[in-house]
Amino acid sequence: MKRSRANSAPVAPGNGRPAKRAKKRLKAQADRDSRFYGNPLPGVKPEELSGNLIVVEGTDGSGRSTQISLLTEWLEGEGFAVETMGLRRSFLVGEDIDGLLAENAVTRMTLALMYSTDFFDQLERRILPALRSGLIVLADRYIFTLIARAAVRGIGRDYLHGIYEIALRPDLTFWLNVRPEVAFDREFKKSQTISYWESGRDMSLSNDLFQSFIRYQSMIKREFEYLSKRHGFIELDGEGSVSDVNRLLRTRIASQLGIRGTYYKPSHALAHLWH
Amino acid sequence: MATATPEIATTEISASESTTAQAAPERALVAKRPYPGALVVVEGIDGSGKSTQLYLLKRWLEIGGYRIHFTEWNSSPLVKSATRRGKQRRLLTPTTFSLLHAADFADRWERQIMPLLQGGYLVLADRYIYTAFARDAARGCSPHWLRNLYSFAPIPDITFYFRAPLDVAVTRIIAGRPKLKYYEAGMDLGISLDRTESFRIFQEKILNNYDQMVETDRFVLMDGTMRVNKLQKLMRQLLGERIDLAHFAPKRKRK
Repeated sequence: MKRSRANSAPVAPGNGRPAKRAKKRLKAQADRDSRFYGNPLPGVKPEELSGNLIVVEGTDGSGRSTQISLLTEWLEGEGFAVETMGLRRSFLVGEDIDGLLAENAVTRMTLALMYSTDFFDQLERRILPALRSGLIVLADRYIFTLIARAAVRGIGRDYLHGIYEIALRPDLTFWLNVRPEVAFDREFKKSQTISYWESGRDMSLSNDLFQSFIRYQSMIKREFEYLSKRHGFIELDGEGSVSDVNRLLRTRIASQLGIRGTYYKPSHALAHLWH
Repeated sequence: MATATPEIATTEISASESTTAQAAPERALVAKRPYPGALVVVEGIDGSGKSTQLYLLKRWLEIGGYRIHFTEWNSSPLVKSATRRGKQRRLLTPTTFSLLHAADFADRWERQIMPLLQGGYLVLADRYIYTAFARDAARGCSPHWLRNLYSFAPIPDITFYFRAPLDVAVTRIIAGRPKLKYYEAGMDLGISLDRTESFRIFQEKILNNYDQMVETDRFVLMDGTMRVNKLQKLMRQLLGERIDLAHFAPKRKRK
């Protein structure tokens, strides 16, 4: 199964150690085929999970949420039951994180661990039951955003991967890649302001809000480039039109789920998203 | 201007990890640490007498005017409401239970423990990362995962491990408490429907996990069945041997 451009790229010949390379590639493939990165969560039997986990990653302004709304409607139209997850949506600590962010009283490690609590609460109490029942889970961001945000704030990548090694490996991970400048335009158009955290203002990158946003988002983007290689993301041009990006998403998801046709036209309720 | 690049970042954390990994040599006084303070920890199962002993140690140091700070497991106000909600409604899994306590610890680590160690304080901790290693592993979390989760924590200068036989500890707790709480008794593990029985089995698992760390984490073994005042005398003596207390003593005005 083709997982990404990065991983399907042919190995350069003549490096002198083809056998080792091939072995490494096989191991990487086997790793990607298991449902967890490391040891599974305590008490979870991977073979029980019959549903599919599809992740859409991308910064604010990449069109992530729009695409998830459209995909939900398409999949439901095709007869698939859909569950969604996202950041700060857990019953356990979702509101607490909102509070911590608003008060700006929290330090980086505490925040990173609160986010991981939020993530695993959703995963264990909502997402795994959904996958056991054969649902399609659409994740509006996943561990990768959490890793990228914490990594640019100075928390070690290996440490972060260690925390999330018990997380479920997605069946597909899409990365809607947009340039920081484009994300800035879209965000500003949407909310007439730029959020404190999305511009990384806690990192004192610049007093100029635009500069701070661009520098912060560029750092996040670099982390994503690394994560994309490591985890085999399917990278899509998030600057394309909503309908173009949606068509690419549908094509890839249709082949994953064995859906024949990918025709879709949004209902009246979602028509305003379609351009 | 503080620019945290990922490169700097990695070295920062791996630096603290390497302190974790290397076996500190036997030493009498404050070891070479990246901070002038010192960290004293008590560990042990419920009813082992550790909190009483740390309280007495703290009083002794307080009365002497030493520069100390006392910190307790699971006490950060920032994380409290989430922990309470999770426990009351029984929403916690082994993983989220562990992560919430790690967040609580991280908050105290970032805002109290590290700044105070850097400011030259003697920090006294009632329970530390070993509580998570012993208890969360008893709940089914992988020891390897737990060690990584807390790898940012500084290694204590001295860890007193209070050990009392299971029966003694369990009797002490049950005698003093009208009802054992759900998570406290390990009811989430589904070992037994009887709370006292569940508590006993849970504590036994934790005790075994602690015992395994005596060597690897260089615990100072304390006999929890000794008389309180005798044990305290011993604790003060051991503390004095390991840590240069003069370093934390009040500065005398010159006359």
